[in-house]
Amino acid sequence: MLTTVAAGRVFDYSHCIGMYSTSGIGFLVPMDFGLGSNKTVYVLNRGVDEITLRISKCTLDHEFITDIGRFGMGDGQFVWPIAIALDADENIYVSDENTHKITVMDEDGEFIAKWGEAGSGEGQMRGPAGIAVDGDGHVVVADSQNHRVQKFTRDGQYLSGWGSEGSAPGQLNKPWGLCVDKEGSIYVADWKNDRVQKFSADGQFLLEFKETPGGVGGLHRPTGVAVDSDGDVYVADWGNHEVKIYEPDGKFIAALVGDAETPSPWVQDYIDANPDVAKARRRTNMEVEWRFNRPIAVHLDAEDRLYVAEAVRHRIQVYTKERDYAEAAINL
Amino acid sequence: MPSQEDIALMAHLMRRAGFGASRAELEERCARGYEATVEELLNPGDDSGIDEDELYRYFPQFESSLAPVAAQTEWVYRMVNTTWPLKEKMALFWHQLFATGNSKVDNPPELLAQIGMFREEGLTNFPNLLVKLAQNPAMIYWLDNNGNHYGSINENWGRELLELFSMGVDHYSEEDIKEASRAFTGWTLGTKPPRQPVGRFYWSFEFKPEDHDYGEKEFLGHTGNFDGADIIDIIVKQEDTARFLARHLYNFFVADEPQVPAWSITPPNDPEAIDTLVKAYMDSDADIKSILRALLNSDFFKNARFQHVKSPAELVVSTVRMAGNYNQPRTGFPLLAFECGWQGQELMNPPSVESWHTGSEWIDGGALVRRVNFAAKLLSDTSLPGVKAIVAGLKVRGTLSPAEFVRACLDLVGPVEVDDGTFQELFTHAQEGGDVSWDTEDAATESEKRTGVMLALIAATREFQFA
Repeated sequence: MLTTVAAGRVFDYSHCIGMYSTSGIGFLVPMDFGLGSNKTVYVLNRGVDEITLRISKCTLDHEFITDIGRFGMGDGQFVWPIAIALDADENIYVSDENTHKITVMDEDGEFIAKWGEAGSGEGQMRGPAGIAVDGDGHVVVADSQNHRVQKFTRDGQYLSGWGSEGSAPGQLNKPWGLCVDKEGSIYVADWKNDRVQKFSADGQFLLEFKETPGGVGGLHRPTGVAVDSDGDVYVADWGNHEVKIYEPDGKFIAALVGDAETPSPWVQDYIDANPDVAKARRRTNMEVEWRFNRPIAVHLDAEDRLYVAEAVRHRIQVYTKERDYAEAAINL
Repeated sequence: MPSQEDIALMAHLMRRAGFGASRAELEERCARGYEATVEELLNPGDDSGIDEDELYRYFPQFESSLAPVAAQTEWVYRMVNTTWPLKEKMALFWHQLFATGNSKVDNPPELLAQIGMFREEGLTNFPNLLVKLAQNPAMIYWLDNNGNHYGSINENWGRELLELFSMGVDHYSEEDIKEASRAFTGWTLGTKPPRQPVGRFYWSFEFKPEDHDYGEKEFLGHTGNFDGADIIDIIVKQEDTARFLARHLYNFFVADEPQVPAWSITPPNDPEAIDTLVKAYMDSDADIKSILRALLNSDFFKNARFQHVKSPAELVVSTVRMAGNYNQPRTGFPLLAFECGWQGQELMNPPSVESWHTGSEWIDGGALVRRVNFAAKLLSDTSLPGVKAIVAGLKVRGTLSPAEFVRACLDLVGPVEVDDGTFQELFTHAQEGGDVSWDTEDAATESEKRTGVMLALIAATREFQFA
């Protein structure tokens, strides 16, 4: 379905970015990404070994700029990087669920700082996962193995925190991705509770997003969440290989399944350079390649374009939210 | 409290039907009883024994990588951390029997999928398993059945099915191989997108009627318009098949046999045991649980302690389970996978379809040094949770004479049974330090240190190489 029509909204597949690659152009096990200025995108690649881990800095127009960071315990290095966020100055924040630290770098990858201490006390972290920068420039972190959310200043001073292990409203179980909307509310992918929870800026539980009446909209281990300018909520439904879309009040309205029918230019170049690959693609049904495989992170740009990273397909699929789409007659 | 003999027997069962167990687990299992434990092992849950979501959350590369080490590492992680030890042990057994290698398949995810099939089907029945094997994409490619066509047969799968996977040599004719191969024509691979440049896609089994030979065949004295499933149905009813599988099970679970190529000229070490397993096979229509139940409850199994050289996978996995430092997601798992290969068992890449030679052939000078160094390094590290538990188990015994200290260490590491010569060597070393006591902080620190050294020495004994 290249076009998904639901409840007065239309989500149209646009194109995709990326390919499998161990360095340079392409990604390898993308976990998250950040959208910068001038169409820049920073893709956080977990990689498959100590050599292929890196942040790919490229543009949404498929121009490769550079690789940033590498495996290790030193400054500007990572072991199990899981999420990335950018602040207003386009500084890069990366959470590492192995070292329990947040690393801060500038847009060129120059190391600025590293903060975080392993533990479960106030301000300590165990397995930090999702990370976002709110309107005040504070850093919000899903402190995953402590089952809570914490806020820090950009240099790591603890500000506040909430959440405890459990499944009641307001409780969390290994939260992963999170985002902040324009009002400052915080949405958390409550990974092991199979839901997304919305909290006020000071941590008051407001709403949850999960299966809705009719047995639709159920999530399995959601990993990422984003909110557009209309308040619609997009969830990377990692375990179901879909992106679920909800109205602001939690009503489920649509699921995207992946539509990458047209390969990215990088992929097309690879096919063109490898005639056997081109032949192998001609002899089979390629639909399985279009579909999401482990959608892991979702983000939106200022025009409400939706970007979906897939860990197993090493790419980002892009959708537009059409405002003036005229549906074709159903009886054609 | 269970008797020492009960503990020793339970430890034996868990080494063979699993990858070892801690003293606490052995005591719990003894409380439930030996036969009850056998039934628990034989009746695992329907799940894989691992929280799959947690696995792929912390190791996303396992789903994404095309590299052999990722597939090997995932399997090692499962062997170390499974809640269903026999299910995983059977996957290893079937892998060693139905040896399929990356050297030709060149597709680690498909090989791992085959291991998954062994995990899922490994405790069902032999006919079902052989059909699943015949339809397994990695096997189809490994033995060229995708090149086995109507009017132009490729005998590779048909030959190995009979020779290495079911009946053994001398129990069928060349003509039987040809006829079996005709029956498997059209059993092939579905198409799939290439793995590059957007990551892996899985093969599927596909039956192509237009490529299948529907003609009459004569096979092992039977005549009919057989297809592959019919051929398997005839094979599994042969007593030779029961005997061949029984010997493999005996070699893997009970005691080391000669290498497979010698089986046609060398009788089994324990013909009566093989007869018992053959009877269990024939009485149960080749039900694998029934055969294993007979095996694990038999006296010949119970009396076969330390008569089986640990394979590298068994040695690596059982040692880290004992040390207790790999029981959750962490870095370093790839090194365990590499270690299996360095010791001579590169998982999912056996040297040929004949598989690895086992028993004493796992051991050569280089492999032995690696095996000893690997185990000694882990067991001498008293900061590791499993070693700490051993130290705690010694502490509760109070002050120990050198002989008591050696016996207690051997007990808590296994129990490991050593001969007099080995004991004397360990004792001589222990004597140098005198009694082991825990009365003061300094004494406890020294005793902990001595424990680490003693455990390393035990890991270096001949007896530790046996399960």
